[in-house]
Amino acid sequence: MTDSSKQHIEEKRDVTFRVHRFNPQVDSKPYFDDYTIKLEKGITVLRALNYIKEHVDASLTFRAFCQAGICGSCAMRINNMSKLACTTQVWDELERTREPNVIRVEPLRNLPLIKDLVVEMDPLVGKMQQFSNWVDSKMPEEQWGRKEFLVSEEEFRKYDKATDCILCASCVSECTILRANRDYVSPAVLLKSYRMNVDSRDASHEQRLAGLVGDHGVWDCTHCYRCQETCVKHIPIMDAIHGIREDAIERRGVKDTSGARHAEAFMTDIGKKGKLVEATLPIRTNGVAWTLKNLLPMAFKMVIKRRTPPPPLLVKSTSGIEQFRAEFREMSGHVAKDHEKKSGE
Amino acid sequence: MKLFDIVIVGGGGAGLYAAMEAMKANPALNIAVLSKIYPNRSHTSAAQGGANAALANSAKDDTVEMHIFDTIKGSDYLADQDAVEVLCSEAPKIIRELENMGTPWSRLDDKTIAQRPFGGAGRPRCCYCADKTGHTILQTLYEQCLRKGVQFFNEYFALDLSLDGSRSKGIIAMNIKTGKVEAFPARTVIFATGGYAKMYWNRSSNAAGNTGDGQAIAYRAGIPLKDMEFVQFHPTGLRKSGLLVTEGARGEGGYLVNALGERFMSRYAPEKMELGPRDLVSRSLETEILEGRGFDSPAGKYLHLDLRHLGADLIKSRLPQIREMCMYFEGVDPIDEPIPVRPTAHYSMGGIDTDNFGRTVMEGVYAAGECGCVSVHGANRLGGNSLLDILVFGRIAGRAAAEEAGGFNPSPILDNEVADKDQEIRSFMRSKGHYERYGTLREELGQTLGMNVGIYRESSKIHRGIEEIAALKERFSHVRVFDTGDVYNTNLVQVLELRNMLDLAETVAAGALVREESRGSHTRTDYPTRDDINWHRHTTYTLMNGKPVLGFKPVSMGRYELQERTY
Repeated sequence: MTDSSKQHIEEKRDVTFRVHRFNPQVDSKPYFDDYTIKLEKGITVLRALNYIKEHVDASLTFRAFCQAGICGSCAMRINNMSKLACTTQVWDELERTREPNVIRVEPLRNLPLIKDLVVEMDPLVGKMQQFSNWVDSKMPEEQWGRKEFLVSEEEFRKYDKATDCILCASCVSECTILRANRDYVSPAVLLKSYRMNVDSRDASHEQRLAGLVGDHGVWDCTHCYRCQETCVKHIPIMDAIHGIREDAIERRGVKDTSGARHAEAFMTDIGKKGKLVEATLPIRTNGVAWTLKNLLPMAFKMVIKRRTPPPPLLVKSTSGIEQFRAEFREMSGHVAKDHEKKSGE
Repeated sequence: MKLFDIVIVGGGGAGLYAAMEAMKANPALNIAVLSKIYPNRSHTSAAQGGANAALANSAKDDTVEMHIFDTIKGSDYLADQDAVEVLCSEAPKIIRELENMGTPWSRLDDKTIAQRPFGGAGRPRCCYCADKTGHTILQTLYEQCLRKGVQFFNEYFALDLSLDGSRSKGIIAMNIKTGKVEAFPARTVIFATGGYAKMYWNRSSNAAGNTGDGQAIAYRAGIPLKDMEFVQFHPTGLRKSGLLVTEGARGEGGYLVNALGERFMSRYAPEKMELGPRDLVSRSLETEILEGRGFDSPAGKYLHLDLRHLGADLIKSRLPQIREMCMYFEGVDPIDEPIPVRPTAHYSMGGIDTDNFGRTVMEGVYAAGECGCVSVHGANRLGGNSLLDILVFGRIAGRAAAEEAGGFNPSPILDNEVADKDQEIRSFMRSKGHYERYGTLREELGQTLGMNVGIYRESSKIHRGIEEIAALKERFSHVRVFDTGDVYNTNLVQVLELRNMLDLAETVAAGALVREESRGSHTRTDYPTRDDINWHRHTTYTLMNGKPVLGFKPVSMGRYELQERTY
């Protein structure tokens, strides 16, 4: 057998990486550099970036460590989606890119930019601290190491998937709420909080929950599911967020937060009329004082543009409301039974 | 910066356990953890298998005694028996402690921590959390350190110890985010920077940063290193990246095939075939490649791990992670194509010479985990003992440092020391005569180590390796940092890491040459058998006049007499 027949030749292509550049010491604003390199099939985006750094431009800056998809360092936006550069095949990206043979590489969003593709992670760590993202053990420290807590495999499975999180911050980068408000707790921290709350060894469930229902907390999420779509470990983050909300309603009722009151008002309206009574929704959610202070200017603008919602008395019940009410009652009955079952356990 | 009681360099399992334990021992202490990455990124997270502890949950008749014996035998009798006793008898306590603080574990039907069988262990005693044990342990320790308010200095690159005669005054480090060189005056310093197997570069499964920074700093300060020649190779690393394809793939029935289409393991282990012991399989792959029966590619020579005959259903249900890895990192789906593999360096048994408390010869300086060498792994580490090592000895070092930190007041680190260090690293950027590229030197270092100080070693090849490393060190003095900025200069960090790897490579090669026997991971073709009369002892390396000076230390023996290591 000759050498050439043994040689395995991969397909090669010229690929352009359009990379976000910013050095705070010299640049007033970010720009893009194009690097065109010849690559063979099977190469990851991180290896391509490493190649550029070593052979083309040593100043190109990004984080990378394990290069095996477990440390979470190299999360960045590749073709407008946050993901790990080390687990992303260049050839896969070429299939979904808008401009042929051009791959766009940008830093994560919603975190302060440091340089090129590197963002500051401290805000995320700060939120983990703020929301006590640790198990506060029911066992006093002096007794640690003597005997195990007994935990069933079933109970372990409640937080098994959530502990896959590698804090890569891809979900943080794609979160639509964080784009509007950086104080928002953020999906990764909600996921970790949920993981701690369902752990039977933890003693801080109530305090953690009290923090989560506050301003910029769990009720700010709008269910856009971007976090879950982008998660590099395929963790159902929205299940965790829903889990915290259900837990909050169950343990704290619906009176203490605007989010919970909002959900309650929704349910009342739907139950009564089959649709929303929008004009009074803000008052029922946030109270009269808040509504007057925050929404009065907008209400005036709406009047001028003739975009005001109908007054409550004019909101007619939808047709077929009788049948809907019956079904709604049945549904609510099931929910109530589930809750009884849960609290009886 | 004000005086720290303890500065811990490295934020992996050993460093974080040390920090937590020191805080527990004395909450009033001023403790800092310096890490060149965010601690939750540390390489501890890559350990999938688990941690050994004779909890006797799975096998009721398991004992600490059996764990001790398995570890000593696995080490090819080079481990210190008193140290192994500490490791194994502390194991059940430390696993329970981790459990008590919130580490998730897979569970048995009786709700206790699950344990599974592992290579070289007489009983199923490897405690695990699915295939992410290291990751969950690291996360838990990081969370607990945040809970206790440990001060973290993340993305700080440690440069050198500051010395007052033979005593340490603390650490000088560079803040990567600003490029500023800063002093960390400290009563005690603990090195916990992980292993050095990345010097084999793309012949290594390690993270890019496992460059032995702590070992190199200690070595430059005159602290001896120990047993550096012992580097463990794993048989099946991916061709391009060196990343591991775990033993599960062969366990499920995968074939190893050469370019002639032969299942070549029939030549080396006709009965066990692909399931022979790790070092034997590694050597077999290497032989096939050396004798020209490998495949060739721009990324180097390789062999095939063929899973296709197992069928799509089995691959998808039992080996989903391996399939995902092959697709991510090689662009190969093992259902349709064989996996290109070759042996890969993945663990360093050697490290900073310490006693059973993590103390080095320099007062106030400690080392723990893969960074240190107690030694509990001797010539070959058993699977499931590396996580255990970092936990047990991380904790011991943390406690010992907390107890010592009280009395001594070091003299301050002077401004001009810091300025000198700053000048030293910046000289890489300024000098006009500098032209060598970091990437080329690093590539060549990995290559020469792999070829000459790899799985098979032999006098003339090691000599060539030593010469080539010396030449690379010379060329390194002309290395150029092309990025001249201060902010987040990863080009500079890479060059500093390369300097550390070059310093340590010299000791690895020196050890490989002097140890004229084959023991554990160290295989000399010119000395193919174990030689207990001459070589049942540790080697040490101390830097003097720019060269490693060799020394020896006896192995502490105990209950177990030397035996031939057969499985």
